Amino acid sequence: MNPEFKHNTITKISLTVKPDRMSLFSTLLGQGFSLKIRIGISVRDLLCRQIGVGADYLDQRIQTIFLDGKVVDNAKTAVIRQGSTLALSAAMPGLAGATLRRGGAYAAMRSQISHKNNTVDDSAETGTVMLKLFNLVALELGPMFLKQGLYIHGKNLENFFQRIPDYFWDGCLAAEIDGISQGARKISLMEWGQEQVFLKLKTKEETQQQKPDLS
Amino acid sequence: MDKILRINMGDENGPKAIEEPLGDYAGLGGRGMTSAIISKEVPPLCHPLGKDNKLVIAPGLLSGSHAAQSGRASVGCKSPLTGGIKEANVGGQGAQVLARIGYAAIVLEGKPSDNTLYKAVINKDGVEITPDNSLKMMGNYDLVDKLKKEYGDKVACISIGPAGEMKMAAASVAFTDMEQRPTRHAGRGGVGAVMGAKGVKVIILDDTGMPTRSPKDQEKFKAANKAFVQGLKKHPITGEGLPSFGTNILTNVINEAGALPTHNFKTGRFDGAGNISGETQSEIMKARGGMVAHGCHKGCVIRCSGIYNDKDGHYVTKRPEYETVWAHGGNCGIDDMDAIAELDRMDDDYGLDTIEMGATIGVVMEAGLAKFGDAQAAINLLKEVGKGTPMGRILGSGAAVTGKVFGVERVPVVKGQALPAYDPRSVQGIGVTYATSTMGADHTAGYAVTANVLNVGGSVDPLKPEGQVELSRNLQIATAAIDATGMCLFIAFAVLDQPETFDALVDMISAFTGQNLTADDVTELGKNILSFERDFNSRAGFTAKDDRLPDFFKAEALPPHNVIFEVRDEDLDQVYNW
Repeated sequence: MNPEFKHNTITKISLTVKPDRMSLFSTLLGQGFSLKIRIGISVRDLLCRQIGVGADYLDQRIQTIFLDGKVVDNAKTAVIRQGSTLALSAAMPGLAGATLRRGGAYAAMRSQISHKNNTVDDSAETGTVMLKLFNLVALELGPMFLKQGLYIHGKNLENFFQRIPDYFWDGCLAAEIDGISQGARKISLMEWGQEQVFLKLKTKEETQQQKPDLS
Repeated sequence: MDKILRINMGDENGPKAIEEPLGDYAGLGGRGMTSAIISKEVPPLCHPLGKDNKLVIAPGLLSGSHAAQSGRASVGCKSPLTGGIKEANVGGQGAQVLARIGYAAIVLEGKPSDNTLYKAVINKDGVEITPDNSLKMMGNYDLVDKLKKEYGDKVACISIGPAGEMKMAAASVAFTDMEQRPTRHAGRGGVGAVMGAKGVKVIILDDTGMPTRSPKDQEKFKAANKAFVQGLKKHPITGEGLPSFGTNILTNVINEAGALPTHNFKTGRFDGAGNISGETQSEIMKARGGMVAHGCHKGCVIRCSGIYNDKDGHYVTKRPEYETVWAHGGNCGIDDMDAIAELDRMDDDYGLDTIEMGATIGVVMEAGLAKFGDAQAAINLLKEVGKGTPMGRILGSGAAVTGKVFGVERVPVVKGQALPAYDPRSVQGIGVTYATSTMGADHTAGYAVTANVLNVGGSVDPLKPEGQVELSRNLQIATAAIDATGMCLFIAFAVLDQPETFDALVDMISAFTGQNLTADDVTELGKNILSFERDFNSRAGFTAKDDRLPDFFKAEALPPHNVIFEVRDEDLDQVYNW
């Protein structure tokens, strides 16, 4: 644990990075982050009505959807539950990639892992959902989530910062933990264990006045 | 490309080369050529390393032309790994250069009477085959560096590493890429061992002074090729996904599906998948000054390969492909991208199939000789193979032999060849192809190519269970036909989704050959190739019992979805009924 940041609430990390460093966070987005959202609704409603993904983007770009590891063929009839994991990907290569496409010609080849339709409920309850973004979808939707801020499992964040390429730190212009300015590299040494951590990114081009603090 | 070069390595006066017209093999290319020659000329019961086996290297029908993506070659023989017919498909420069020199196939025949090692130089003036024992036990990288000094940096090399010389059943044949590195491999089935048995270390191809192959209808070809390239570039897979992340774009997705074979096929999810995903791999490559999008041969517009550098920015290997990342990664519990890149480099240098070696090391870990996740142990085991120690000889014989030696029950092979990177319990249609392919377990044997566009075998209702068998059959037919053209299988996605790109492909082939190709012609070609192969295997002693997955796929439920392979044996037996 990090004695200097003892608290009773979730740790909040805010990083200001150069725009070209944003793509490095694809790895993290692929491992998943938590969202508090309305549950009992369809995948389509979650993405288009709650999150604000365009219908065309969903229909054309997000070709592969997993709900709790099962392949979704119809985003209108797959329903989000408390604790669900939703993963989004662009179209994938290979025979396996083709079979995993929603509603694809080869759907029969993976019927054992296809998501079975379930029903929408009107309870309007709020719950927690894990969202994973892969490949092109991570590059395209990721910045929106990162700028809004997202909840990450502490172990994933630790692992991410330990493995991130060195050049990231040159482009990390500022770092705050719970509102207190910190040396950016210090983050890579911290341990969060099983905690959830709130991570928020800002992007900014480096200026003369904003040399990175690499202490 | 109107002649065949036959090199008899067993002639009493030393290697003897003759040129022949195409004869009965006219109009064939790639897999069509290799499987026709093997089926017709090789006694099915011969020893794969004996004088009666032949090694056939054939560029595709369009190779050597300006057709985009046409740089694939086929390497065929009776396989020392499976005992059946083998076609191993490979990129790199070899297909283009060989086709421009004018050969539709090189056939290595016979067997030298001693252990002399030869090199063959082929150019517009003919063939020169000379003994060169200085090349013995040289790794592919050192070999190509040495040859570059002698023959320049424009030639293409087709070579074997120490594994091929030691006639290991997992040995590959290396083809050099655009940078003249031996990174592209005809990996599967032990084709390198057959080249080693012929005593040929390397074939050096020099197309200096030879023109690009011309189509019969230049204008139509040019227009069709342009439309084809546009189709590839605008499709999200071939235009964006593959150039951005390579084939390893699949790791995260297959893992999420619960279909990533992990710890020797024990589970379908790997906790460390994110650390070795295509997304992570691309960021590492960018950070180290590598190259994220790069073709393996001239004329590639998809560029799914790349350059992987070490932490100091020095070249290590090409971008390890998804199959390699899986085999040496998740299958062995290893989530260290640098270790996987090192293993890939070693495989290429020794001349080994990365899928077979990753699966074999997984079996060794299952046997308890190393721990899952121990990257250094995997590297040390692979070094044993390169050195040819007794342990290395066992591992170099592949997963099936290794499993027998160490008493492992869970050995993921069909017809003696290791399964690739998709667990057939999760994606059962792929399991049908693994089980019934003439090649042994092979993910490219039934690729998602144009089956539905061609309507091969009639329309299939994908919602019916028997659809899995029909789809697999149709895909295997269509794939065999594509393998004959020399086209990269990755064109499949654009062709599958965009009718105008499919039309452009058909127009391009028609304009090149001067024939009006129809979907029926393509189907017939695919069926003919499979019939050659099936017939060979039947005469080699294969029966229905060889078209099965190992028992554990039916007995052990795969987490996280806890599924088993459910396709019935009697349904598998229907795949070749057309």
